[in-house]
Amino acid sequence: MLRPRHRLHPYLFLAPTLAVLGLFFLFPLALAAYRSVFRWDLLTPPRYVGLAHYERLFASGEITRALGTTVSYAIVVVIGSMVLGLLLALAVNRTGRFVAFVRSCVFSAYVVSWVSVALLWMWMLDADAGLVGRACKAIGIGESGLLTSPETALYALAGVTVWKITGFSMVVFLAGLQDIPEELYEAASLDGAGPLSRFAHVTWPSLRPTTAFVGTTSLIVSFQAFDIVRVMTQGGPTHSTTVFVYAIYEHVFMNLRAGRASAMVVVFFGVLLLLTLIQLWAWRLGRKSG
Amino acid sequence: MTVDRRSVLRGLAAAALGGTVGCGRDPLARGRQSVSLWFSYGGKNREVLERMVARYNASQQAVYVQATFQGDYFEALAKLRTAIVAGAAPAMSHVVGEVVPYLHEAGVLEPLDGYPGASDLGLVRALAQEGTYTPMEPKPLVALPFNRSTPILYWNGSMLEKARLTVPDTWDALRDAAKALTNRSGDRVSTWGLECPISWWFWIALMGQAGGEVMRQDGYPLLGEEAGVDALQLWQRMVHEDRTMRPPPGRDYNAWQVTNQDFLAGRAAMIYTSTAFLRYLEDNATFPVRAAPLPGFRRRAVPTGGTFFVVMRGAPEGEKRAAWDFLRWMMLPDQTIEWATSTGYMPVATAAVTRLEREGFYVKSPNDRVAMDQLQHAMPWPWAASLFRVQRECVDPRLEEAVLARRDARELLAEARKQAIEDT
Repeated sequence: MLRPRHRLHPYLFLAPTLAVLGLFFLFPLALAAYRSVFRWDLLTPPRYVGLAHYERLFASGEITRALGTTVSYAIVVVIGSMVLGLLLALAVNRTGRFVAFVRSCVFSAYVVSWVSVALLWMWMLDADAGLVGRACKAIGIGESGLLTSPETALYALAGVTVWKITGFSMVVFLAGLQDIPEELYEAASLDGAGPLSRFAHVTWPSLRPTTAFVGTTSLIVSFQAFDIVRVMTQGGPTHSTTVFVYAIYEHVFMNLRAGRASAMVVVFFGVLLLLTLIQLWAWRLGRKSG
Repeated sequence: MTVDRRSVLRGLAAAALGGTVGCGRDPLARGRQSVSLWFSYGGKNREVLERMVARYNASQQAVYVQATFQGDYFEALAKLRTAIVAGAAPAMSHVVGEVVPYLHEAGVLEPLDGYPGASDLGLVRALAQEGTYTPMEPKPLVALPFNRSTPILYWNGSMLEKARLTVPDTWDALRDAAKALTNRSGDRVSTWGLECPISWWFWIALMGQAGGEVMRQDGYPLLGEEAGVDALQLWQRMVHEDRTMRPPPGRDYNAWQVTNQDFLAGRAAMIYTSTAFLRYLEDNATFPVRAAPLPGFRRRAVPTGGTFFVVMRGAPEGEKRAAWDFLRWMMLPDQTIEWATSTGYMPVATAAVTRLEREGFYVKSPNDRVAMDQLQHAMPWPWAASLFRVQRECVDPRLEEAVLARRDARELLAEARKQAIEDT
């Protein structure tokens, strides 16, 4: 085992990373926590208000609403991108020029910017002029427009997000599928396993780490959602698409409330910390049982 | 020939530095007082402003104005506030009328009374700072009008003539006209009778027509009381009962854009939008575009809108003087005429209005006259620092709820009033 020549050496190696993390993550977070107890509009001097912002955010139901919206959006995005990504990966897990072309097409959405995707889908979802909007209207969904109705707007955004990130999920699942030894399938076939049985007993268990990775990355994307909301709905209609990050932006930049936005940042950090702890716990549990 | 690594790096650094310094530097700027202007006009209005700025820069040798587009009004305001805190604000910008009292009370605007010629700008009173607001006590001059507007009713000339309708001048007539103009086949609507962004400015217009006031003079939020409810109920009826009005998707300026697009595409027969889009709509429509004053209810009323130029108090003295020189030039009749006739905004100088009348402009272009005529019914805004927050936080989100989620208008406005009293 390698031993450091001086006990400070490991910390010196860690120092650059710690400095970057401290400067761009811990310091702003501490600053947000400090600012959250002031009423401050950036232009006039801050006024100490104690925990009033937290009280108001919880009492008005804003935190619950933003969290509920974000979680609903995340559920659709995570499940949608995982299921579609896996199905697509299974479909294109073969050789040939046409399959390679399909793979490239599906993945191409992932490399396009969020703003371009949002603008494209605003047009596609238009109830009168858009291909998807008109099709949905014809079958009785979102008659006044998928983005106009508070019942459908969030799911429309989640659908667009799934469309954009599924290419990434597909590629990761494809890598996972290609890592599964062929012998396992041969052995299962010799034991009389059919395609469904092979999927349930060979493919799916072997893809567990890949699935965890895809789930985590799409969850991160969901919790970071901003661009698509900013361009397509601006948090509306009637706050139905005001996800957490957008709510923070709206407070600080639109409503001129830096203190209240800071309080939301602190709460959001708490939520993310909790999610990370749950994930860590689940991972450790999985390792133990493994 | 061999090139060592150091000389390559040196060369690259010099090229990068040269590129940064030289990039975008207009040779006209050399030896002049440079001054930044942040603006929010897009499309045609942006072209007109940039043309005027270029003309100003070419017209004299002392000042060079560098105009930079900063997104829509709200985005630009967010950037401006952040830049003020960071000490990187431009010397001048333009901001929506509702935010001027807040910025003044925050102490970031330069009082302009002392600058040469400030007392005799010859501005149209209803559009200038003194006529736009009703302060409890006199305030220093901190805002100069330029792109000022009122909401007006636009209608598709062909559709109205085909339906043999006259221009609606009351709310009842508006509902009837919208019913007659809506083209529905089963559940599919190919033409909506009316389209209007569900937004503060248009609600203020309706609330004013129903006889309400947004605030008492001391800043206490009334939100029109029963008149505010009447205004919201008009929208609710037209959207849900008559099914003749399409609430456009999106908020803020997205909704405005969609309204314009629907009108141009023939999907809306009548729209409420700003006079600012007059030229744009006329230039792009394939049918005759007609404009009319907003229909009245208990009275005629319209809010004024658009933005004011402001100079930042924290800017260096030289830049403030240069900014004043530019703004003074922009207030002259030639410039206000160019701006108004190229865009649809109202000319802010009285001499410009007189000249346009004398030259027969309003006879040749009667649509331009509509907003000017409506000025006699303009409602002044309260001078309240909270006005902007009342708009953004208390009222705007609830307008959407009333129209899209069909919540009780009275209850919603009571909530908005409570929030405005307790939280702004």
